[in-house]
Parts: sequence; structure tokens; C-alpha cells
Amino acid sequence: MEKRHKNALVVGAGISGIRTALDLAQQGNTVELIDRHPAMGGLLAQLDYQFPTNHCGMCRLLPLTRRDEGSQYCLRKGMFHENIHIRLSCELKNLEGEAGNYTARLRQKPTWVDPDRCVGCGLCEAVCPSEIADCFNEGLSDRKAIHLPVPHAIPNAYVIDLASCTRCGECEKICPADAIQLSQSRRRDFQILVVDDELSIRDSLKEWLDEEDFSVDMAASGGEALDMLGKKPYALMLTDIKMPEMEGTELLELAKTSYPDLVVVMMTAYATVETAVQAMKMGALDYLVKPFDPQTLIPMVVRIFQDTEAAKDLELQVDTVVISTGTTFYDPADPRNLFGYGIYPNVLTHIELERMLSHTGPSQGQLVRLDNQQQVRKIAWLQCIGSRDTQVHADYCSGICCMIALKEAILVKKMTQNSTDTAIFYMDMRTFGKSFQAYYDDAKKDGVRFVRCRIHSLAQDRETRDLVIQYVSKSGEHLTETFDMVVLSTGQRPGHQMKELSDICGVDLNPYGFIQPQPFFPAATGNPGVFVGGSATGLKDVAESVIHASAAGLNASGVIWSHHRQAPLTAQGQEAGPVMDETVRDVSREPVNIFTVICSCGHRLEQEVDPGHIMSGLRDDPEMVGQLVIDRLCTAEGWENMVSALEKVDANRFLIAACHPYVFARKIKTLARKMNLHPSLFHAVDTARLFWSVDSPAKEDGSTSGSRVLQELFQGATVLKHTGTDPIMPIPVTRRALVVGGGIAGMTAALSIADQGVEVDLVERDKSLGGNCLWLTRTLEGDAIGPLLNDTISRIGQHPGINVHTQSSIKDITGQVPSFFTVIETDEKQLVNRSHGAVILATGGSEARTDSYGYGTSDRIMTQKEVAAKWGGDGANPADLGTVVMILCVGSRMQPRNYCSRVCCPTALKQAQDLRQSNPDLDIYIIYRDMMTHGFSEAYFTRARRDNIMFISYEPEHPPEVETDQNRVLVRVNEPTLGVPLEIETDLLVLATGVTPQLPDELSATMGVEKDGNGFFLEADAKWRPVDSLKQGIYACGLVHSPRSVTDTIATAQAAAQRALSILSNETQYSGQIAAQIRHSLCSRCERCIPACPYVARWRDPEDDHIHVNDMMCQGCGACAVVCPNGAAILEGFTGKRMLGVIDAAFQGTTVKEVFLEAEK
Amino acid sequence: MKPESIQTSFNEVKEMVQACIQCGTCSGSCPNTFAMDHTPRKLWRMVLGDQAQSVLASKTFILCSSCYTCTLRCPRGLPLTEAMARLVQLARKANPLLFKKSHAFYDAFLQSVKNHGRVNEAGFMTHYFFTMKDPLLPLKFTPLGVKLMRKGKVAMPAFNFGLGRGSRPRGKMAAIFEKIRQMEQHP
Repeated sequence: MEKRHKNALVVGAGISGIRTALDLAQQGNTVELIDRHPAMGGLLAQLDYQFPTNHCGMCRLLPLTRRDEGSQYCLRKGMFHENIHIRLSCELKNLEGEAGNYTARLRQKPTWVDPDRCVGCGLCEAVCPSEIADCFNEGLSDRKAIHLPVPHAIPNAYVIDLASCTRCGECEKICPADAIQLSQSRRRDFQILVVDDELSIRDSLKEWLDEEDFSVDMAASGGEALDMLGKKPYALMLTDIKMPEMEGTELLELAKTSYPDLVVVMMTAYATVETAVQAMKMGALDYLVKPFDPQTLIPMVVRIFQDTEAAKDLELQVDTVVISTGTTFYDPADPRNLFGYGIYPNVLTHIELERMLSHTGPSQGQLVRLDNQQQVRKIAWLQCIGSRDTQVHADYCSGICCMIALKEAILVKKMTQNSTDTAIFYMDMRTFGKSFQAYYDDAKKDGVRFVRCRIHSLAQDRETRDLVIQYVSKSGEHLTETFDMVVLSTGQRPGHQMKELSDICGVDLNPYGFIQPQPFFPAATGNPGVFVGGSATGLKDVAESVIHASAAGLNASGVIWSHHRQAPLTAQGQEAGPVMDETVRDVSREPVNIFTVICSCGHRLEQEVDPGHIMSGLRDDPEMVGQLVIDRLCTAEGWENMVSALEKVDANRFLIAACHPYVFARKIKTLARKMNLHPSLFHAVDTARLFWSVDSPAKEDGSTSGSRVLQELFQGATVLKHTGTDPIMPIPVTRRALVVGGGIAGMTAALSIADQGVEVDLVERDKSLGGNCLWLTRTLEGDAIGPLLNDTISRIGQHPGINVHTQSSIKDITGQVPSFFTVIETDEKQLVNRSHGAVILATGGSEARTDSYGYGTSDRIMTQKEVAAKWGGDGANPADLGTVVMILCVGSRMQPRNYCSRVCCPTALKQAQDLRQSNPDLDIYIIYRDMMTHGFSEAYFTRARRDNIMFISYEPEHPPEVETDQNRVLVRVNEPTLGVPLEIETDLLVLATGVTPQLPDELSATMGVEKDGNGFFLEADAKWRPVDSLKQGIYACGLVHSPRSVTDTIATAQAAAQRALSILSNETQYSGQIAAQIRHSLCSRCERCIPACPYVARWRDPEDDHIHVNDMMCQGCGACAVVCPNGAAILEGFTGKRMLGVIDAAFQGTTVKEVFLEAEK
Repeated sequence: MKPESIQTSFNEVKEMVQACIQCGTCSGSCPNTFAMDHTPRKLWRMVLGDQAQSVLASKTFILCSSCYTCTLRCPRGLPLTEAMARLVQLARKANPLLFKKSHAFYDAFLQSVKNHGRVNEAGFMTHYFFTMKDPLLPLKFTPLGVKLMRKGKVAMPAFNFGLGRGSRPRGKMAAIFEKIRQMEQHP
């Protein structure tokens, strides 16, 4: 078994696992990232579009600093990072030890194709005879047993699904790279013992298993079996339970005592299933109910074979573990199937529809009916399928299905040029996130229909196969509508084998089987070194997943730091940093000498092209000083051969031609270091694809492939001739953070950063710390906020690394990452100058003011905060109240505050609950629009209904009316179900006014952060960089970011702290090799490049009157070089000479006319 | 029946449907809504709004055919069919005049089952006509009767019409009905 040491193990390589891994890696920690699937990306790999942009944008997760340590291309295709080791088809099987010192046992299942060798040519797929439903396309299309797990990964290696593989061996024969290892011999080594007293059963089992190439022996009784077990080692024993001499259970017990590694499967008659279950408790792996057929037996045996024999186990020492295994979805076919899912062809789940809309989907992005391939004209979404339904044990909301349905409806409208009728049938439209409400409004404007009625079931028209839905309208009319297609918004279910994983990791599950985080700390579990990110605690949209993933990253890095007591990067030495000036040979004054290494790819090169032709072609260029052909560079042996050959070569640039140039990035860096050269002097080009892939153009005519390869090589050579070798200079980091705002968000962020050895200035406007937590008493779940606040404040007070400045404000912030210069005005009106490496904005928010619904005319009308102040404390008794009315969405989700404040609905439920508890006779009416009890807070809504709290919904067009006189408050509201106006005389009217942000214009201006339309902090990207400002080094958390609960606030605070630490953890930072530069002599100071830069990296310095670029902020996109009229703004490496040279090389040997003619063909 | 005890029984029904969220599943599912004066959703809302009088004057629950579709599909898992049945019982006690016809029909039906272990269509209708004491009533049912008879849906017993309350239940039916009576008394 292999043994290794890593700082962190991240289980699950979906979007949240990737975020956590990148966060930790950027800080300098080593990460093992595993996933049970053979591809990365999780659910997001299947989704092409995300709201609210209706694009992807996943690449925005990639690091902005130390960019060259990782891959810098589409993240959906894959990822490399020097500090992350990715292990796919791998599961966590055991975890022992404690925080800071865990031993994890991982089991990697074989995919039967060597990913290092597979070139993705697809020849195997063409010959594979076995076709099954493609799970990537949710079963809407077919795939072969040998298949690509996702269509777009880089490198994209095939895998074999052994359950559907017939082991005909055709793929192994045709594979040109010898990548397939479907060898039969290993099966022959798998010894199976069949124990049954009936000869016929023994015989048929032997026959079936023999046919599958397993080695099978038979025993007629328990005693005989034990004898045979003593003679030779068996891997698997299949035993009957009812046998005359010795019962199967007894045999199991005896066998397991002597041979603990033996896998035992019980065979049982239907009547003795209970005994079989008992046997599993005694150590049997599984059981089979007789009679069974080969279709049941073989997959089970194959699975055991894969798990035990073929799977590779390895042990990993880790400091901490992060679980980010995500969720699965409710299966609407199980058990009642009210919607004919799987029976009616045009009933889909929302994920299946996403695949339909994708260009890599079963219909190439065309929305067609699945029965007759006709264009869909009418489509409906049914919400809450498997959510908010106690009959399927789901008294919870799945959080984002409303947004998924909105997005899909908008996409369908857009893709069909508005010609499709789209209807969403819903109960409450839960648009609780930042910017969700605006998206909902957009959908309404786009003509999406919204029908407030839960759909009970549907039927299919026998003739037309249209889907018929019956429902009642608001007024009680019974209506029937037909649709071409119906999409089921299926709800969340716990991730695969969550129970098993939670047992392994020692974490608690909630009653529904999701991971139960600790109160107030959403990433913390019951195990102090195990954390949870993303949707494993309940389905989340991308932004929330990413926030929770970074929060998990923060907790994990905290554990790593406290066990190593030093910044991780300095501990691991300079190896990880880029090559520096003094260590590399300066080749800028040497003549260009390019040495070419060509991989012959298993001597395929010689078969396809004439190597002599290529060599002589290369020698035509005097700068190409030498050539070498080496077989199989992808193997360790091949690479070593090349390295030893190169050591004797006198050249200063190296061109490597092989398949998958991406794969060589890390190896090339090591080689460059060894040869004392700048890594940019090495370049890898992909020549293999020219003759590998099935439909390669070179195939048509062997004579042209040689020149094709030459063209490719010359393009690479041109890159090398003009490569930039400017050294990347280290940028010293000011290792001190500024946190603005001393509420729970600011305090949590400050503590999180200071706990990792970085000093913090915490600036609070008020006299004391605490913010809104000073008046909040309890969460909806009943957790007291007071102790949290006291604990946090006392930890801040005792922390030597936190300097608290109360009654202070920020006067000015200048500079950029990683050195801001801050002027703080203290309580004594003194100005203090400090410099900081990163800034966290946590100025919070407050309850919005209102003057509607008679507020101010009577002391019986209060806001939620005023109610909390009056009755929030324990022991209060509202005995003098007879009736209470609460109006929700006061001025929210409509002008002037067109967003959901997210906290008011839970607060109303909590206050109603509290009032009811202290006064059981109280009549409580809650007048609401859509109840935003998303996730597991739905259960409190159900409870409130059960507690006889009256809920009355209203439309914004017909809001309730309030009349006050001296002694009474009268509320008039239309009861929508009864269709009658109600008059409620109330003793107390509570108005839920929502949250407004506190972000003064002066502060946002001096920090250089932007606000969204509602005055909240504007993120760099709403989905992928949710706590980052566009201006690097500034992060936001808490209510200034968006309305959220205390727990969710802490998640953003920890996320912001982790993002800041990715800069602050290191003494120095580096920009990428490709970064913008300015030729000051050519610059006319026209300043066009300043607004063109999407990363705000450029500014004009009045002192020297030059345009400057911040190397850390510049991401090398080249926008400045495009707008610059003088060629003064340039991108290192991407000079005009080089770009034109590459184009010339691509056309070498052909005239432009020929190229166009060929293109036309 | 005393108004207090009606209120108590009504509150019991209210408790059964307390967690209702007015999603409309029951009304959409119900095959009889076309004939109802209030949809089930509206009826439950009225129950929750303590409108006992209007609820007990409605014919919605009389039209419930106990198909249990709403109960099966209700996302809150509420015992809706049972609640409907409770309302039927309550309405009969609270508004005997209003529900005279339906209850006479119901009683006649049950009596027939009691006596024969199944419905004897002709016998039970005759029983019903006698209870209603309306000479025109049989005429109203004639077209339906003829239609049913043509299709062979009406059993015509040669003897023992099972008339009157005097005829004794046969076989084990008496024991079954006695058990039901006991269960209803002590639920």
C-alpha cells in the first residue's frame, strides 16, 4: 500500500471541492482531491448555463495570483495545480486519528484504461459492441461500455464500465497506445468458492462464473468448504444458508475467524432474508435471494472483484479532511410515480432538460419532443417534486429548484425566439438570493407564465402523447391544459453513500440524511478536523456553494496552521515558487538554438509519416540545431531517456512534440529548473492528434501528414523564438489585514485571519463590537446568539494579533494589493497610518425604515426589530395581546427595495412561535407573498401551520390596507382562496421591512469597490467570485454583501478570510509569466487602456506621469494591448512578431489561396 | 345536537387539516369538483377560518366519493378523506333538515348492505322512496332505472325485497356492523 502525506484531503471534486482545493493550494498547502466519478466537475459538468448570466464562467474560480502554478484554461475541461493531486474513481474508505494527524485509506477503482497512455483517439469506442444508457446525458442517449465520462475533459481518457463490458477484447486489440488493460489473466487469479448442498445450483454457478473467466471451485458442505479454504487462498466465497450439516452462518463465522480477508456472499431463499441480514452483521458482504439469474450474480461478483482485487488502496496522512460530496436528486419514478416519469416519453427531470439544452446533449441543443422529435411548443415546469412533501419524507425545500426552473424557462424562451409557451406551476416562488428577485422579474417580462398551484399528477393523451395537466385556478376553476413536454423540478436527496461516509468521518447527519453542521458554523462538523463545504449540507446554488467551500477551506487551513505553526509555504521551501532571476541562465543575448524532441508514440509516427522528411524539413531552418525522436515520452522511462539526452545538448530552447502538451506543464518546470533555464524556453506542441484521431485530416492522404506535422513544429518553434524570458520578480506582501466593521461578520473574519498568524486592524464605527447581534436573541432553530457574541468578543479581546479600533472610521485607502495604505481616524480624532495586504469589508446592514402601512401613526404598529426589543428577551409575556398581524415584504421585493431580505420570513415564524409559546390563546395572522423558508427551515413553516398560525398570501398589486385610530388597528386583506375580503382588528401589527446595506459612498469610493443597484457590495462575479471585489485584495462579507442569517453571515466571513489569506499567508506573491507591460516612450497617456482593463490593474501616476500596471492584478488578458493605438501596451510573450510568425508557420508550404480552397472543401 | 359539541367536533376536523398550505393538490385531484359548491381547498380554508356554519351548509363533503386521491397526494400528508367523512357526520347532526335527502339515501343504502351483505339496488331504492314519502320521487329516477336495467345493472330479487327495518341481517353482517359501531364509539 502506498503511503503519502498531504495537508488536506478534499472528498468530492465538484465545484465546491475544486474551490476548497484551490483555496488551500493557493495558500501553499498540499491537497489530495478525490472523486468517486471518473471525471471532475460534479453536477456542474452537466450544466452548460448558470443564472443570472445564463453562461458558464467557471474559469473565474482559477487563482489570480501565482497563476502559473496551475492550469489557466476552461475549468470544466479539467484542472492542474502544482499543489493539488487529483485522484478520480477514488473513494474514502476509512479515516483514523485526530485533527492534524489523520490516516485516510483511499480506494481507487480501476478504469481499465491507463489515463497516461490513452490519447482519446476513439478507435475503441467504434469497435465496442456493448451499448447502454449514457448517465452523463441522464440516460437520454446511449454510450458504449468503453466511453468518455464527460465529453469535454482535458486530457480526456476513456474508461470502461465493467458492468456492461462483454470483455470481447476488441478495444484492447485496436488500441494504438496499448492503454487498455482488460487482461483476462487477473480474473483467472480471482478464486471463488461456491458452497451449496444442491449440485444443480453449484453447477450452474460454476458455469456462469467460468464463462466470465473467474476461477471457480465447489464444495458440497460447510466442512468441505473449510478444508478447501485451508488448501488455497480464496478471494470470494458464495455460500448457501440452509445446508444440512453446517448452516451457512456457522460456516461464515468459522471462515471469517481464520480468514478475515475472505469476502463472503450469502445465498438465501426468500424466507430467510432476515438470517442473511443477520449474516451481514456478522461480516458477510452481501446476500443474494434465490432464485437468481446471471444478470444479478455477475454484476455483483464483478463489483466485488473490482473492489477487492483490482482496486488500489493507499494510505494518506492528512491534517484535515473536507467533505464536498454534494447531493443527489429525488427519483420521481419511486415509489408512486404520479407523473409517469420513465413511462411517458416527454416527462423529464430538470437535469435531463439541461442536457437537452446542451450542445453536447442528446439532441445537440435542440428542444424536441422525445417521442416524435417535433419542436416543443408548450412546456411546463412542475415545482416541488419530492420537496416540501411529508409523504415522501421531505419536509424541506430544496432551495434552488425555483431558480433552476426560472433559468430553464428563460433559456427555452431565448433559444426558441420566444415562440415556446412556458409555464411554471409553483407553490411559493423562492427567490431569496441576491439578484434572484430581479431574475424572476426578467422571467415575467420574457413572458414566462407563473401558475400558483401544486400539480398532483399528470396523464398522457393516448393518441397525441401530449401531456395533460389538471389543476385549479386561484378562483377555484377546474382547468385542463396540455403540454408537449413537462419538466419535473426534482428535489434534493443526500449524496451517494452519505451514511457510510458520515460513519467513516464521524460526522452527524440530520434526519433527512444530509450532513448536520454545527450551530452558527456551517462548515464545522462534530469531528474537529473534518469540515463540510458545498451542497453536502443541503442543495445550494453556485454562489452559496462556493462561499461554503471557501469557509470549509478556511477551517481546514486553520487546522493545518495550528498544527504546523508557520506559514505553509515557507515550510515547504522555495520549490513551489517560480524561477527567479539569479538562478536561471540569461539567454537573451545568445543566438536562438532550438532543439526538437519528437515523441514517436509507440512507433506510430514512423507508420504515418516519413521521419526523414520531417528531419530534413526542420534542418532547413538554421536555428533548429538538433532533433531527436524518442518513443513514449508519456511514460516515465521515455521522459528519463529524453532528460538524459538533453543534458548533453547545447541548445537554449527546446521544442517537445507529443500528445497532450498540457500534461507536460509540471514536468517541464522541473526539467527547466534542473537545466537552469527559464521554463518559457520549453514549449510543447500536440502533433499526435494529427495522426491519432479517427477523423484526423492527415488520414486522408499520407503524403500531407508529414507537412502537417512540420507546420505544427514550426509554429512551436516560432513561439520559442519570440518567447519572453523576463524574470518574474517576487512582490513583497504586507502581511497585515484590515477589517472594516465589527459585527459578527467582521469579528469572525478578523479572528479567522489572526488565528493564522496575520495581524489584523478591526475598525468599528460604534462604541462597542457586536453589530446586529446585540439585539438578536435566537435563531429560528433556537440557538442563542448571546453566548456566540460574548465568546467572539472575548476571543477578540484576548487575541494579541487583533487591534480593535472602536468609534473609528476609514478616512482613506490608497495603493493596491498586496500593499494598501490606510488612514484610520480614531475615537480621539487622531489619524493613524497603517499598511495592509488585504481589506475585508464588513460594514453590515440594518433594518430598513418604512412609512407604509400606517407605521408611525400608532404605537401598536412595530417593525420586527422593535418587537424583538420588546418581547425578544426571555421571560417576556405578551399576555395583554389578543391578536397579532404580521405583514411581510414591506417595501421588499418591489420598489424601493426590489430584493428579498431573506431573514424576515424566518424571523416572522420565530416571533410568532415565541409569542404563541408565551400566550397560547393568541390569534396570529401572517400576511405574506412567498414564504422564503428555503432549505431545512421549511419544517418550521409546517410547524407554524400546525400551531394554528393563519397564513394569508397577497399579491403586490393588492397589498393589505391598514386603518388606525386611537385604540385599534384594523387590517384589511383579501383572502385569495375564499375570495373574500377579511377585516382583522389587531392589538399588534408587525411589519417586516427587510435589510438595507450600510455602505457609505465615501467608503466605497476610497476603497474602489462598486455597489449593486440596491446599494450592496458588488461582487467580481455573482456566481464564481461571490466575496471578491473586482479590485483584487478587497473582499466583503455579512449584510453589506447581501441579506443573510447569522449562520450564513459567518459562512461569508470565513470565505472572505480564506480569500484574503490566499494573499496574506505568503511573504511574497508572484504574477503570471504572461502579464502586461508598458513602453513608456511610446505611450501617449491617452488612458484608453485604463477603463479597458477588466481587472482594474492600471492607473496613471501623477508623480511620474506614467501609466502603471499592478503585476498581481493583471491577468494577462491583453485587452490593453488591443485598445492601445501606439503599441505601447504590450503583453509579455504575445508580441506582434510572434503572432504573425505563428500564422506564417501554419501556412508554410501552402499559399493562402490553397488554404482557403481547402477550407471551402 | 348542542352547539358546543358541534364546535368541539368541528375543531377536531380543523385540527386534522391545520397544516394545510392551500397548494391546491386536493382540488386538482378531486374527480367531483365540477359538482361541488366549494373546491376542497376552499372548504379546508373555510374550516381553518372557523366558518363552521358555511362549511356545514356546503355540499362538498356529501359529494366526496372517498376515492382517497387527495389523501394520497396531499404534500402535508393530511387525512383529507377522513376529514370529509367527519364533516358528513357532523353536518347530519347539525343540519338534519338540509341533509335529509342524502342521509335517507345513505341509510337506505347501508340498510341494504346490512341485510344482504351487498347492495340490492331495487330493494334499497324502494326503501329510500318509502322514507322520503314523496310520490313524485320514483318518477324522477325512472329514466335512470330503465337505463340501468337495460344494461343489466339492477338486480331484481324475486323474493324478500328486504323491505322495512324489521328484516334481520343474515350471516356475519350483524357482527361486523356491531364491531363498527363499537369502533366508532371508542375510536
